[in-house]
Amino acid sequence: MWAPVKTWINDRLPVSAVVRWGLEEDIPGGSSFAYVFGSVNLILFLLLAVTGVLQLFYYVPTTDHAYESVMYLRLQVPFGWLIHGLHYWCAQAFVVMVGVHMAQVFIWGAYKNPRQVTWITGVLLLLLVAAMAFAGPLLAWDQLGYWAAEVGTSIAGTVPWIGAFLQRFTRGGETMGQQTLSRFFILHVVILPALFFAFIVIHLAAFRQSGSAGPWEAEKRKQAGRFWPDQAYRDILIASLVIIILAGLCVFWRAPITGVADPLGRSITPKPAWSFLFLYQTLKVFKGSWEAVGTVGVPLALILLLFFLPFYDRNPERNPRKRPIALAGGTALVVLILVLTVLGQLSQPAAQGASTGPGSPKGVPLEHGARVEPNAVAEPNKSTAILSEKVASAGVQKGRELYRSQGCAACHKIDGQGGTTGPDLSNEGNKGRSADWLATQIRNPKANSATSIMPPYSSLGQEQVENLVAYLLSLRAGGGQTAGEQEKAKPVARGVESRQLPASGRQGPPGEAATLIGGTKLGHALFADYCRSCHGLEGTGKVPNPGSEKGIVPGLNPVDPTLSSDDPSVFAVNIDRIIQHGSVPKGPQPAIYMPAYGDGMTLTQPQIAAIEAYILGLNGVDRAKIIQPGMSPERFFLWTIVAFGVICVTAVIPFLIKK
Amino acid sequence: MGIVSAVISLLLGIPFVAALIAPTYRRSQSPYAKAGEVGPLPKEQPVSLRFQFQGTDAFLRQTETHEVWVVKHSDSDLTVFSPICTHLGCHYDWLPSANEFICPCHNSYFSITGQVLAGPAPRPLDTLPYRIENGVLYVKWERFQAGIPEKILV
Repeated sequence: MWAPVKTWINDRLPVSAVVRWGLEEDIPGGSSFAYVFGSVNLILFLLLAVTGVLQLFYYVPTTDHAYESVMYLRLQVPFGWLIHGLHYWCAQAFVVMVGVHMAQVFIWGAYKNPRQVTWITGVLLLLLVAAMAFAGPLLAWDQLGYWAAEVGTSIAGTVPWIGAFLQRFTRGGETMGQQTLSRFFILHVVILPALFFAFIVIHLAAFRQSGSAGPWEAEKRKQAGRFWPDQAYRDILIASLVIIILAGLCVFWRAPITGVADPLGRSITPKPAWSFLFLYQTLKVFKGSWEAVGTVGVPLALILLLFFLPFYDRNPERNPRKRPIALAGGTALVVLILVLTVLGQLSQPAAQGASTGPGSPKGVPLEHGARVEPNAVAEPNKSTAILSEKVASAGVQKGRELYRSQGCAACHKIDGQGGTTGPDLSNEGNKGRSADWLATQIRNPKANSATSIMPPYSSLGQEQVENLVAYLLSLRAGGGQTAGEQEKAKPVARGVESRQLPASGRQGPPGEAATLIGGTKLGHALFADYCRSCHGLEGTGKVPNPGSEKGIVPGLNPVDPTLSSDDPSVFAVNIDRIIQHGSVPKGPQPAIYMPAYGDGMTLTQPQIAAIEAYILGLNGVDRAKIIQPGMSPERFFLWTIVAFGVICVTAVIPFLIKK
Repeated sequence: MGIVSAVISLLLGIPFVAALIAPTYRRSQSPYAKAGEVGPLPKEQPVSLRFQFQGTDAFLRQTETHEVWVVKHSDSDLTVFSPICTHLGCHYDWLPSANEFICPCHNSYFSITGQVLAGPAPRPLDTLPYRIENGVLYVKWERFQAGIPEKILV
């Protein structure tokens, strides 16, 4: 029944011949677990190709939808988490396994005559792996991928003579944008994979031309084993093991969620992917006019060193014990790369504010102080011909308004109202402080005391600081009229204030951030800068808000139950409207109100998304929750283990025992 | 035969390559966008300002948000710095405690006038053209080639 069909096909297409060519291979010295890496890499490549194509069913390569389409795949497509996760982890494993494969070939001396072409095509495949690993991360259009590509293309720009063209050509224009994404996309999914397939075929053909190198001892090579089934079983066993580990990583160690690319983001320290860290670290050694050595010279030298290895190392000896120089050189290179990688991973910017890296200890909010918040900028006093006394009292009045609008009461107490983080200011006018000292304290607290934790309010104008100082100097507790009493005597001020306050919150629609899934790590750092002073450490603090109905700033941990929801997207929309448009608490004269972070452009939409992810996390809701897993990831992993066990028990182990 | 192939290749090849290279030289002209009022800015102290304008990126029309560092000398004299490090295009930050700009990527330090104090940056911080009309600051967004000693528009 089968035989005639087989004959019919084989008369017209050499299927059996090709299969025989693929499987009937002599392995000098017999099969070995040392030879599995080439096959493992082939299987990893195929897995990358399959998961890559599957992702393309959902992926949209435009800057306004790429990130969301990837997150849709990861969270809402059944088994999308697995497809994306396998692609991510396979890519990491591929880099490692290609390195191991090359190391094995190097130690066995298998690159030597007559296998030069196998080695050279292998080096070209390594370059393709590097190109894929460079282009791939940008496609998700997230923070990590965006900044790695930004720095990478800038490095291309420093190449002598052709740098400007190279940078322009890779970016598709002067800056990173849609054309960059399109170009990287085509590279990653069409051009490089096509080259990959071609070079794999050439690599295998060259490999089969001279056959397996086998052990370096001539006697051991005499007894030959077969690729099929001896070696194939070993290859499949190890490849399955690798796939199980990758599946485990997908389940127990999700690919990072760093939030959508934010070109304005000073809040991330751009670093390349870990596989390029050694080059990044090398770059730091070469400065000024030597820079081209680091950006072009070192990588080029490394490539040439690898590429021409079989031509300058022409000693036919393969036994590693008799090649001390080659082995020492190879080991030194590997150690150097590993050390540089670790250094690059550990390296932190020398000085940083809380905003440039999560978990910075001092938490000095640089950006907070240095940014002009449109809401906070008071109208300049337009009246010109006023008696000096009136100017002074108007200054005190304006200072008091500023004291409220800047949220000073979150930390400082006046007449029993306000926070306790900073000193009580009720008697500030009697402390003998000079106006200059107070002005410095507001603008740059560290100049007065290096250990001050007060954020610098450097965005305040000269007049605003003078007004604040005038107000502070008017505070004399127990000595005549306090500012608090003055305030009660002058209800006139209210009209002025309500004009300055934003319209009562939650009026506008949710912003773009509500639909973006932010990274909690970045959110944590931003929270410390922008939210902590009023909402307290991790959103738990009950910071006083005198003049509001509740008397305190609402906590975020837990958040108001009317805002909370088990559905992360609903939860995000609820809090997003407040963050975007601000909110004024109910009450006669709330001292603190929520600024409109979105409308005022104080925070970018990706930054707001990150803060939302963090706040959801505080309330036990995962912003990046997998909504449609298809099957619970843990259960899936259990099934993988079972399947692997069945394969081992029924096929592989009996086969190996029989041998 | 060979000549025919070569002619056809050139005939098609030149337009194909041109389609990939030519659009990258299209320079997007940014308008002078309103960045804020000059009055409230503190003197001789860097402040970061954000502004928006309607831009196009290939076929996408979008609101572009940009950021600049502004140092006010007087109400009519400012320095407007591009926020992009001249080394490799990272965003630097102002460190008030040290009175320096610092780029976290490769530790380039700049003074308040934009001069390189330390690190690998090849040139001072880039300044951007601006206008002041009725006390309002308008900034023209531009990008310059990173990593080279000369300030050249990209």
